Amino acid sequence: MTNASPLDSAAIELDGLRHRYDMDDVLRGINLSIPRGEVFGFLGHNGSGKTTTVNILTTLIRPTAGSARVCGLDVEREPMRVRQLIGYLPSDIRMYDHMTALENLEFFARLSGVERPRSAALETLDYLDCADLAGKRVGTFSTGMRQRIGIAQAVLHKPVVLFLDEPTAGLDPSGVRHLRETIQRLNSELGVTIFMNTHQLSEVAKVCTSIGVLNHGELIYTDSIENTTARFPDEASLEGIYVRVEAGA
Amino acid sequence: MIGSTNSRIVVTLARHEYRAAARNRVLAALVLVLVAITTVSVLIGAIDYHSQVADYQRYVAAARSSGVTQTAPLPLQVLSLLRGAFEYLEIIGAIIAIVLGYMSIARERTSNTLMLLQTRPITSMQRALGSALGALAIIATLLLVTGAIAVLCLGVIGGDWLAPPELLKLTLALLATIPYMGAFYCLGVVLTAHARSLSNGLMAALVIWLAVVLIIPQVGDTMDPDNQVPGGLFQSLGVDKPTELKVLAKFTTYEKVRNDLEEASLAKHYERFTFGMTDVKDKYRGFTLTHLLHEKRNDIAWLAAYMLVLGAALHRSYQRQPALPRGGTP
Amino acid sequence: MVWNIARQQLLTLRRSGTFIAILATMLLMTALAGFIGWMSHHTIIKVYDETVRLLTAQGKPIPANPFDSKPELALLSNLAIYVPLIGAILATIVGHIAMMEDRASGAARLLFSRPISRSRYVIGKFLGTTIALAGVLAASAVLSTLSLVIVNRNVPAAGEVGRLAVFFGISLVYMLVFALVGMAFAITSRNRSFAIVAALGVWLVLTFVVPQVTSGLRPTTSLNPITDPVSTSQSFFQVTAHARPISVSEQYKRVSASVLQTEPAESPSRSALRVVPILALALLLALGVGGLVARHDYSRGLQ
Repeated sequence: MTNASPLDSAAIELDGLRHRYDMDDVLRGINLSIPRGEVFGFLGHNGSGKTTTVNILTTLIRPTAGSARVCGLDVEREPMRVRQLIGYLPSDIRMYDHMTALENLEFFARLSGVERPRSAALETLDYLDCADLAGKRVGTFSTGMRQRIGIAQAVLHKPVVLFLDEPTAGLDPSGVRHLRETIQRLNSELGVTIFMNTHQLSEVAKVCTSIGVLNHGELIYTDSIENTTARFPDEASLEGIYVRVEAGA
Repeated sequence: MIGSTNSRIVVTLARHEYRAAARNRVLAALVLVLVAITTVSVLIGAIDYHSQVADYQRYVAAARSSGVTQTAPLPLQVLSLLRGAFEYLEIIGAIIAIVLGYMSIARERTSNTLMLLQTRPITSMQRALGSALGALAIIATLLLVTGAIAVLCLGVIGGDWLAPPELLKLTLALLATIPYMGAFYCLGVVLTAHARSLSNGLMAALVIWLAVVLIIPQVGDTMDPDNQVPGGLFQSLGVDKPTELKVLAKFTTYEKVRNDLEEASLAKHYERFTFGMTDVKDKYRGFTLTHLLHEKRNDIAWLAAYMLVLGAALHRSYQRQPALPRGGTP
Repeated sequence: MVWNIARQQLLTLRRSGTFIAILATMLLMTALAGFIGWMSHHTIIKVYDETVRLLTAQGKPIPANPFDSKPELALLSNLAIYVPLIGAILATIVGHIAMMEDRASGAARLLFSRPISRSRYVIGKFLGTTIALAGVLAASAVLSTLSLVIVNRNVPAAGEVGRLAVFFGISLVYMLVFALVGMAFAITSRNRSFAIVAALGVWLVLTFVVPQVTSGLRPTTSLNPITDPVSTSQSFFQVTAHARPISVSEQYKRVSASVLQTEPAESPSRSALRVVPILALALLLALGVGGLVARHDYSRGLQ
């Protein structure tokens, strides 16, 4: 599987993925496949294992058992190649406060092996409509501004898969709208596959093409948004569907 | 190709470390304190030297005028005036290096960038090398400034500009400061990386600094029997040198314990090397540089060994950087 | 209310790993001071015996044992170095923790939403700090007395116990100076590590730099229990020596040496005068810290 070309394989494949912290099973054998070009919403209550899944997929931690692949590359065996293909926006994104937005982006571009780091940083800022932030120190930024620079650092090396961990946390309504538009543009214009952990069901309905629901470390539901709304025709909102899925409907 | 990418990443990380350190207020304050008190120390030494040279010239003039043709040579060595400066580098330089190491880890933890770095295609070795090179560049800059101030003070106030051989010895003494401070930098990184709370890591490193730089050398000194009685034990007993050596021959174990205690201290080796290079100890004054370096090979080996062992520990710390905190958004 | 604040502070210290580590170092060093004293005492007596044997064989006159003229408390002369080194750093950290923990944990905001005045708060902190430092010194005093009993093989006379008590009393005031410095930086700094390093900077200046300027003492010479100022004929030192009476570390070492009789005795009034600058500095700093706490904006967090 690791020999498959990163361009042919599914964006994300989880096979019996397990993770254990101390004596606690956080992930209990997850199987999941997300094709290229999806915007996948990963739902679940606090402590259900969403962030642990993203941590494994972004090579930050190793799974206890099972496997995880990004574009066909095993995250344990080929972490360096995986890192070249992914972008990551952690929850509560913060960067080097003493550096300007441009300096921060240039630094991360160099570490990602981008050929012309400065122009890549400037182009990304321009693409995300935040060129005005380039010369300002990150320490002075609001949560919304940090989020925009955070996304810029996650996409400036043109990743194939983008992981967003609770990207709407702490954002005001206009910030949430801006983020939604950015996700849609990245997906439709650049073809980036997006994997998003979130609590904001209204945003999931607006931006995601498919969803998965995690409950106590088990994946209890996964399907496209279209199929989901068709399966629960009597529910007006995704919130109602989510409650029924969690309840085992 | 891989090599050039490798070195490009290491240089990027080193430059990042250097810039972050250069912009840090804590470090800036410490460096300022070091430069200021080193300057004061060299100034005091230079004033002292200037005045003693004047005394000596008066003595020579008086001797000549009274018809004495043979006069004693000037008993002062200009480099030995830098003793205070090197003692400050030994004490405060080590603290600066610890703070540099602490900052290196604290910066990534407090700015939440550790996760971002760990999701980039860079290895722990590259990170360890990059941060160490950046820190060494900061240390080298600091030493360059300190050295330049010292040379200027000696020249302008002491009225004695260093000759090339003396400059070479001063350069070697400053170069020995790099592994010395480098070892403390590694200590700062290792302890901060392992500590749950950042400030606990810093304080633990400072406790070790206290023991290695101040306490152990002091204990070794106090254990010297000759230091127990004012004016020296053997002198107070009115004993000549051969008898003293005969007596001491019976106390080799005690002397060995005392010596081993000093040997264990990195600071003592640094002190011995720099004092040798700056003519502080009379016994080295007639030595050629090669002879001197040969004589000091043990100290050089200890400095290198400490640096290497702590450097390996630093790499291990980057490799085993603590796993992420459990769970996601609260 | 004051006692409550002090008690809470003592609890925090008891659970602080760093405080315990430095406390252990301080006690270890006190024990080591006694052990080194015993070992060198023992060695010197043997050296003396060996010298006597050799000199007798050579038919030379036998000198008096130089140790006979050494006072019993001289065994603890190293303590006068460990207090300015370890004791002062320990005090700085105690002061730092006293003021910083409430700020860093956010407890200060809750505290001042209760009916407690700033003055009572700061008095409680002073009380807690003094009790903690006195406890450290009391433990050190017990260890020192034990070393004296073991090495000298007799119980110290009342006069010696009194001298030890005076020494530890002066040490407490000296350590309080540094605790207050730690407190001052913990209140004024927005960054925790800056507060520690800045307080350490003040300690470095008072312990090493000032004695060099006032007495020409090089940094490592300042680590010697016996402080002979470098003999310098220069006008520079003739001017700076005027500031020696306010060099607290030198005054502390000199008065300690006098109390422990490791240096030639001086009149009690002269010794008492040496404590004045230390006391005055402590008082000034206490007032300063009181003022800083009164004016501090506890609603602001740390960086």
